[in-house]
Amino acid sequence: MIARVLLRRLVLALVTVWLAATLVFIALQALPGNLATQILGQDATPEAVASLNEKFGLNRPATERYVDWLAGAVQGDFGDSMVKQKPVVELVGQGLRNSGLLAGIVILAGITLSLVLGVITALFRDRWPDLLISMGSLIGMSIPEFTVATLLVLLFSIRFTLFPAVVTDGPNAPISALLDVVWLPAMALTIVMAAYIVRMMRTSLIDVLASEYVTMARLKGMSPSRVLLHHALPSALLPTLNVIAINIAWLVGGVVVVESVFNYPGLGTVMLDAVRDRDLPTLQFIAVVGAAVYVTVNLLADIGAVALNPRLRTTGKAG
Amino acid sequence: MSVHRPASALHPFAERSTPRMDRRAVLLGGLATMSAPWLLSACGGGSKNDPESRTAATGEAKPGGTLTVARPPASNAETLDPASSLSAYEYLGALYNRLVKQAEDGTLAPDLATEWETKDAKDWTITLRKGVTWHDGKPFTAKDAAYTLQHILDPDTQSPQAGVLAPFVDPQAITTPSDDVLKISLKSPNAEFMSLLVNYNCYVIPDGSAKTIGASGIGTGPFKLDSFEPAGKGAVTANPDYFDGRPVLDRIEFTAIANVSARVNALKAGQVDLVAQTNLDFATIKVVQNTAGITTATVKNAQMYTMPMLCTKAPFTDPDVRKAFKIAYDPDSVLELSIHGLGTAAHNNPVLPTDPYFLDYSLTPDPEQAKSLLDKAGFKGAIELFTSDYDPVLTPMSLAFKDSVKSAGIDVSIKNSPADSYYTEVWIQQPFCASYWYTGRPVDQLLNQIFRGGSSYNESMWDDGEFADVLDAARAEVDDEKRKTLYQDAQRLLIDNDGTILPFFADRTIGLSSKIVNYKEYGFEFDYMNIGFAA
Repeated sequence: MIARVLLRRLVLALVTVWLAATLVFIALQALPGNLATQILGQDATPEAVASLNEKFGLNRPATERYVDWLAGAVQGDFGDSMVKQKPVVELVGQGLRNSGLLAGIVILAGITLSLVLGVITALFRDRWPDLLISMGSLIGMSIPEFTVATLLVLLFSIRFTLFPAVVTDGPNAPISALLDVVWLPAMALTIVMAAYIVRMMRTSLIDVLASEYVTMARLKGMSPSRVLLHHALPSALLPTLNVIAINIAWLVGGVVVVESVFNYPGLGTVMLDAVRDRDLPTLQFIAVVGAAVYVTVNLLADIGAVALNPRLRTTGKAG
Repeated sequence: MSVHRPASALHPFAERSTPRMDRRAVLLGGLATMSAPWLLSACGGGSKNDPESRTAATGEAKPGGTLTVARPPASNAETLDPASSLSAYEYLGALYNRLVKQAEDGTLAPDLATEWETKDAKDWTITLRKGVTWHDGKPFTAKDAAYTLQHILDPDTQSPQAGVLAPFVDPQAITTPSDDVLKISLKSPNAEFMSLLVNYNCYVIPDGSAKTIGASGIGTGPFKLDSFEPAGKGAVTANPDYFDGRPVLDRIEFTAIANVSARVNALKAGQVDLVAQTNLDFATIKVVQNTAGITTATVKNAQMYTMPMLCTKAPFTDPDVRKAFKIAYDPDSVLELSIHGLGTAAHNNPVLPTDPYFLDYSLTPDPEQAKSLLDKAGFKGAIELFTSDYDPVLTPMSLAFKDSVKSAGIDVSIKNSPADSYYTEVWIQQPFCASYWYTGRPVDQLLNQIFRGGSSYNESMWDDGEFADVLDAARAEVDDEKRKTLYQDAQRLLIDNDGTILPFFADRTIGLSSKIVNYKEYGFEFDYMNIGFAA
């Protein structure tokens, strides 16, 4: 039964990715200007634009280009970047790898920290640790990320020179070169993201702690830590999982502003450049990757929900 | 864009790189100022608060050292081919030489050409420097110079300077009678021909190098290429065999940073020594000047700001309306309000006051006369002015203009358009918009390229036969004094009749380490030879 559900989800996932890519293709046609006009800017004489359009195949009808792209995509060929003349898979892959490093650190350190803080706020509900953490995280969430980033740079790069302020190594920087600069962006993202998870964890844990089965467990004389870790937390994590999933997807695809402020060569930077240049193949592939990441983390969140939910688990075993 | 941006043509892309960030950059600047008291309190300097007084330090530099420079990437596809519209501007002056360069007083100075002469403004004989070698050891000859011109004119190169040179240079009519003589027979006379070669697209490259120059960077310049990655890192090292002696520095490292705030942060955090081609906003200037170890330097009159009125669209088809708009505003108040007075009032004349051909003539600002001209023309008083975050000064200038012309009964409404399509969707399409150009173009190129009918850069679409005739007469005139008079006549026609409101030239204020001495930049020139660290 689980297998059937998974198969159905997988098919739906592929349809979602295809739809996302198609919608992005249509949206890109509606953008003013194209690669030729963006490259040429004020030098865009009609002849120069025509010759570049010809060179990049932009003078063909949109439907024809879409069919070509789709035919390539199903065979795993997503084409070359029109600007960099390199396969988009390589280009986007590099950005994805760098964003992955950043996201990985935020997920491991930031999300763990947020969950722990969430548990603390629930346990100390309405007392000073709760008020302090809740207020702090809400303030962090309310300040725009570029401001948080700038404040961190002022504090940790300029006032106290602990971390570099920006990445100076360019898009081809090896992972090792990013290791000392990834911390400030990771901190900025954690600060911006933490409140969602802390608040969700708090609400959900408070609900669970008030439930009858937790009261029953207490009455049976279980130690408070066992009640928390084995009975309350798994259930409380359930609603939090979806919030975490959405945050992870956001981390991988949508951290454009933070990447830009730190000159971090991640997927957001690749996307920003591609939008500016109207580099259609690159944007198409980013749409595919972005949709795939969203679908995957949501799928994983659902699987995690099954694993954490005793009822679903039992049904699974019975089936 | 190259036209617009010398450096930036790139510079086109420079600021364009992160159009959506521009407003944020301004916000960040403001924020940084607010934060300064508590974060940077230890760094406050006594008398550092007067931006006008800042110039780069000069003095003795100690030999050697590595300079790190943050620069705006031209594009992800940027290249070291100087002729390309996507050339990585900051590398060019370090790696290459042109035939001629511009002296600080606006006159031509020898570079790879030592002498040039013509009797009729058509047949030119250019004598080249002897004993110059390329970075790969091969000797520089006239063939390389001829090839460079042919490369610029090659349609495949898509060089922005091709349109400027093509009316004069026939690629077949360039001959090399000897290794150090280049002969060019122009299609039509131009006594100012050599000045067209000052452009940064005209750096000389080796014969036959069209396919390789974009990555190899082999030039004759003071630095040799060590590495280059488009929109990434790169480095050049001193060329000990440079014909003009060895540069002071051992090495220059470049890093491309698209976001303006990130570029400035890199300077503040000490990761780079100089932020190239980046005009700091007023708040950031204050922050930089009050931060220990870094300071600002000024490039005088680096950009000119314009508000072209399309002469082909109502209401600007009427010369009286154009004239009324030109005299309706107060240049000094617009200069003060838009850029805190960090520039020079232009009085609608695009020629820099420091240029040898400058004509000291202007229409007197007169709101009353403007009003009566507009009444006569039946102008209703309301007009839309388009602007954009493409450049941080466009919107402040538009707002200052709106304010200044109220007294003449002109009701300006400001329309903000997205930066990344501003120059393709608005410029030369809407009747009235804000625009800007880098200065550095010699007079002949400036007037013919931006103000003459038929040029694709003529942003006001003013097409005047008399103006064109005067420019052609100037080009054919070999007598220097008479030619100067003709270019001045052209300026008068332009100021009286054309469709360009030109309130001011703006200085560019860049940020750099306080240890740097002998930073000098003007027009398309950057002094790579003498810049160094204080002894």
